[in-house]
Amino acid sequence: MKLIRKEFTLAALLVCAMMVLGGCQEKDGSTESASSGDDSVKIKVWTLWTDTTDDINAVAFRKALETAKTDLPDFIIEHDATENEAYKTKIKTAIAGNAAPDVFFAWGAGFVRQFVDAGKVEPLDQYLTDGTTDRMKGGANTNFIFDGKTYGITFSQWVASLYCNKALFDTYDVNIPETYDDLMQAVKTFNANDVIPITVGGKDKWPAMFWQNAFAVRTAGAETCNAALAGEASFDTPEFVRSAQLLADLVEEEAFVDGALGLDYNESGALYLEGQAAMYYMGNWFAGDIAGHDSDIGKNTVVARFPVVPNGEGDETQYLGGSIDGLSVSADSENKEAAATVAKYLMEQVARNLAAAGEGLPTWNTEDVTSEKTNPIIDQVKSQISNSTGYVLAWDTFLSGADADDHKNYVASIFGQELSPEKFAARMQEMNE
Amino acid sequence: MLPASLIFLCIVIAPIFISGYYSTLEWDGIGKGVFIGLENYKNLFFGDRNIFYGAIWNSLLLAALSVFIQLPIAFMFARLLAGGIAGEGFFRTVYFIPVIVSTVVIGQMWLKIYNPQYGLLNQFLESIGLGNWKQQWLGNKDIALGAVFVPLLWQYVGYHILLFYAGIKTVPQELIEAARIDGASHLRITFNIVVPYIVSIIEICVILAVIGSLKTFDLIYVITGGGPLHATEVPTTLMFNTLFHRVNYGSGSAMAIFIILECLILTLVIRYIFGRLSYDN
Repeated sequence: MKLIRKEFTLAALLVCAMMVLGGCQEKDGSTESASSGDDSVKIKVWTLWTDTTDDINAVAFRKALETAKTDLPDFIIEHDATENEAYKTKIKTAIAGNAAPDVFFAWGAGFVRQFVDAGKVEPLDQYLTDGTTDRMKGGANTNFIFDGKTYGITFSQWVASLYCNKALFDTYDVNIPETYDDLMQAVKTFNANDVIPITVGGKDKWPAMFWQNAFAVRTAGAETCNAALAGEASFDTPEFVRSAQLLADLVEEEAFVDGALGLDYNESGALYLEGQAAMYYMGNWFAGDIAGHDSDIGKNTVVARFPVVPNGEGDETQYLGGSIDGLSVSADSENKEAAATVAKYLMEQVARNLAAAGEGLPTWNTEDVTSEKTNPIIDQVKSQISNSTGYVLAWDTFLSGADADDHKNYVASIFGQELSPEKFAARMQEMNE
Repeated sequence: MLPASLIFLCIVIAPIFISGYYSTLEWDGIGKGVFIGLENYKNLFFGDRNIFYGAIWNSLLLAALSVFIQLPIAFMFARLLAGGIAGEGFFRTVYFIPVIVSTVVIGQMWLKIYNPQYGLLNQFLESIGLGNWKQQWLGNKDIALGAVFVPLLWQYVGYHILLFYAGIKTVPQELIEAARIDGASHLRITFNIVVPYIVSIIEICVILAVIGSLKTFDLIYVITGGGPLHATEVPTTLMFNTLFHRVNYGSGSAMAIFIILECLILTLVIRYIFGRLSYDN
């Protein structure tokens, strides 16, 4: 026991010492230079892909790292992965301390913007003219473009869909909702039969936020949503009030699972996977959960577009989603060209590996890749977005910091029936003033 | 002493002063901070749509519950245990188990207990015919606070039991025996001999309970994250959110400084009260 205590104390001391030393190093602003012993260049890459068994992106990335060893023999890629939430804190701290890796995972729009504004991210336009842009789908990097410069390369996009349990719809003779009225009707029927109409994880806030965001895409249209988010149009309009009103009406009708504000993402998803809830509005990553779940839910799932609303500005071809996951290059990197080459290679390979695995929605032209297997759920999603005319990112990723947090709290207040739709729109507009 | 003091200075004292400095900045943690004096504190206390007071109130309520419910329960158990019941060592260990288990594990466990669909609590109520008592324990903003307080108080009961137990064991046995021969009841012995004898332990327990309540974070973060609709927010969860989600290092640091001062002042008050108590005796 005593020995263990001693070792523990020693370990704790070591950790402290490392922190102190690390702190000093960061203050110097010196970055490690790659040893010039041989010709190969060391490139540090940080991502959030820790789980290489279940996470389809992580698996695809791991494969890309393997092929990089032969395809990019002149580079030594040092990969370091940290779990999602911890990664956000880690990369912020590293960039603030001038200790950023050469290449790092970033979310476009709000997240990367704070680093771009601080001058910590390298514009990549000069490295993309070698045909890279032609190999990517149009607008793939839109969310990484600020002031006309591209600060990151994406590999896939996401899109939210309404996942419907067809078995439950058939049992109670309800149609898969195409319009808001259909949705209301379905909610009433399911409630009358003690089936949870819609499950949502309100504890994590963003799944609840999806609902208002999606209604806004329908009532105001993608273009107006994006303009308002960018501060170029007003939130305080009848369309945005209506987006909140439609949601408030659903809440009033008890469309959402009881205690939704206390359930997290996983708990709420489980209700759908276990066949207890009829509908779930979620991003395409949920298709992997459905396909991997050990029940009939995979066979029973019908992927539907978010219902349209009468006289709305946005039609059914506009979606909540976009391409926001990508790699950026640090402005402090000593070897920016090499870093850009590695970033380009990794993103293209991840996209191709995803295509080969029949997963995800790659933002690169992967038509020449033959898929080894398919995920029927993701195929449904793909066929739906083939005619897409507009995308709006989840608002909390477009906005940043306090605005994103406020927005999520406002939508939560609609779920809690504490905020009127008019006040919701007015408070959103406060951000633009 | 010197190495220890140095480490203490580097790791505890210096960050407090650095936080104090940060709290006077408007800073997103990455770029350059702008000095804005006490503006962050002004916003904290007089800003629009203030949720900070609610958070402070919640933490003070927890501190009060901790002192007036958790500690008496702990004392009762400790007195029973120290009185020499069968299986003394066994129970001592059992009560201490929640203290050793990681808070995240405890949080997950209570999440499962409170889950409205398959949770132990609702299932239990259903099975004994109290189905209409079933609740959305963590989803209803009116009862969520009570629901997170239960595990918070429960977890550290064992810790205080152990402290009290050790204290009660130091009470000289002959004192108690003499009182018993004189015909003092069990209750009388408890309040006239045991309690005065371990008043310094009680002071420590009260301080630990109050400070622990004011800086409680992990369990609330795991169970509700401060929600629903800020119903279970305490200053530390607000601080975390302000620092890492709202990326407002100035305001978050101001909250940190407030928590430190709050703890310091309350510690002094408690010490003063106990000082008076022992003076009166």
